[in-house]
Amino acid sequence: MDVFMRMAPVVIFFVILLGMGLYIQKKSSDAKAQNFSKEYFIGGRSLGGFVLAMTLVATYSSVSSFLSGPGVAWEKGFGWVYYASTQVVAAFIVLGVLGKKMAVIGRRTDSVTVIDVIRARYHSETLANISAVVIIVFFTTTMLGQFTGGAQIFSAAMGIDYTAALLIFAAVVVLYTTVGGFTAVAVTDTACAIIMLVGMCCLGYAVITKGGGMENIIATINEVSRTAVESGTGNNMLSPYSESGGIPTIPLPLYITQWMLCGVCTLGLPQSNVRCLSYKDTKSVHKAMIYGTIVVGAMMVGMHMLGTLSRGVLASVEGSTDTVVPILISQYMHPLLAGLTIIGPLAATMSTISSLLISGSSAIVKDMYLHHKEVKKEAVDQKKVASISLIVTAIMGIAAVAIAISPPSIIVWINMFAFGGLQTAFFWTLVLGFFWKKANATGAICGMVGGLAAYCVTMALGIKISTFHQISIGIVVALVCFLIGTAAGKPTDDETGRLFFPEKY
Amino acid sequence: MEKMTYKEKFIQMNKEAKATWIVAAIIIVYWFLSGFGVYAVWGAEWTILGMPAWFVLSCFGSWILSMVLVALMVKKVFKDFDLEEEDIGKKEG
Repeated sequence: MDVFMRMAPVVIFFVILLGMGLYIQKKSSDAKAQNFSKEYFIGGRSLGGFVLAMTLVATYSSVSSFLSGPGVAWEKGFGWVYYASTQVVAAFIVLGVLGKKMAVIGRRTDSVTVIDVIRARYHSETLANISAVVIIVFFTTTMLGQFTGGAQIFSAAMGIDYTAALLIFAAVVVLYTTVGGFTAVAVTDTACAIIMLVGMCCLGYAVITKGGGMENIIATINEVSRTAVESGTGNNMLSPYSESGGIPTIPLPLYITQWMLCGVCTLGLPQSNVRCLSYKDTKSVHKAMIYGTIVVGAMMVGMHMLGTLSRGVLASVEGSTDTVVPILISQYMHPLLAGLTIIGPLAATMSTISSLLISGSSAIVKDMYLHHKEVKKEAVDQKKVASISLIVTAIMGIAAVAIAISPPSIIVWINMFAFGGLQTAFFWTLVLGFFWKKANATGAICGMVGGLAAYCVTMALGIKISTFHQISIGIVVALVCFLIGTAAGKPTDDETGRLFFPEKY
Repeated sequence: MEKMTYKEKFIQMNKEAKATWIVAAIIIVYWFLSGFGVYAVWGAEWTILGMPAWFVLSCFGSWILSMVLVALMVKKVFKDFDLEEEDIGKKEG
């Protein structure tokens, strides 16, 4: 009976998501007949403010925001919530800085992907191809990471086999993404974001009641911190860094680089900034900046704070702190509520996968296949584009699932570079591309290759400057290489200049 | 909705991007002061609702500040205009 009650909300949610995918596929068939790739990969530029905000936040918040992050917060305390709170800027910064320029230029150049925009700005096949490879490699590995993470929670919460859990939830997400395209991704993301917030509230209620109220929980945390500092074996949960005794909570340089990795530089993530091409009008982007900030803050501060507060419920865990949230859900909640809450992290996973899948597929179909046709001036049949797009999306998804059944360690390893790697590759390419007329293709290629090399090598070898995260090295090296390359390369031609920098003429 | 030429749109968008960076910078400074700053002065002794004040002021404070500043910025700096081209004939503005 328990299993049934736990399963029911999840099954209902899955059916709703699939229904949305199918409904959108039916509804958008007319628009798709005219311009398939614009409709399938970018939703025909029709997103409103609310959906834009939700899809941005849902894509951004992944399985780690729901499991690993709160797990570490359980161990490290309020310092880790402070650390996570840098993400409050993640929603508005990308929309405020790049949002409108990408939208205006995207419409003018008929761009559907971030690479289309990069190609329009730099006119470099080399740069476009490197970008496509970077996107495909990092998106696929991230997707795998999300698949394994999602399957682990699902199997733990339902008490079913890992492979079965993976196949069930992966089938749902691959299916609705493939048939529905970008609009389905955006709409299901919205549903996911809402259910994440609902799950968070349920979990919060459970943690506070099981912990015997806020006062009791805080008393426990105080007690734990006092013992930790006195014995020197733990960290002070009440401090952003431990200055006297105990293990230091989080070193200061790491806080600074967190502002880059999970704050400012998130505007370089292609899965985020592709959304700038998808919205309807300026009113939508204005609203999305406000809604997005509200939701991303609530989620990041809320989930991580719950992690810390759950120390008042769970005194110790065996093994990884990643198990804190699943234990809380499966052991301290009514089965029906547990079923509802477990959708939260699953939704976080699915909303990230769906966006990576559709963008990854667009890199192959739009940036490689359709571009190739365009260069050769061959006419394309919309029906053929449609079937190729569906097939590529499905194959990418199925391949990722197949590998996720027993992920090779190389994938897990590459996944570590994905988040920062995408930022290193695209941050300057886009920011300088849109705001600095002198930026040119040589600069962008040098920046992307140099920055990525520096980032991946230092990550792989564990080289650090003090305790700064390697993103700082990646971003700085990328900038230096970009500037040197730009000085050496050819200046931006007049036609591109007038398109991207009309104010200079 | 304001009628703008292609060129005017870009001047406006540069202004908006700059405002976004300024808002982000203010939030970052506030975040450091309300977290590390408050902790340096009061430690964890000062509490709000039982939780350390530095935590409440920095985490909830930065969040609330972001919402307020973004809402203000969108209202005061950001402008509505047509994202589509309406002045193709005189695109040099």
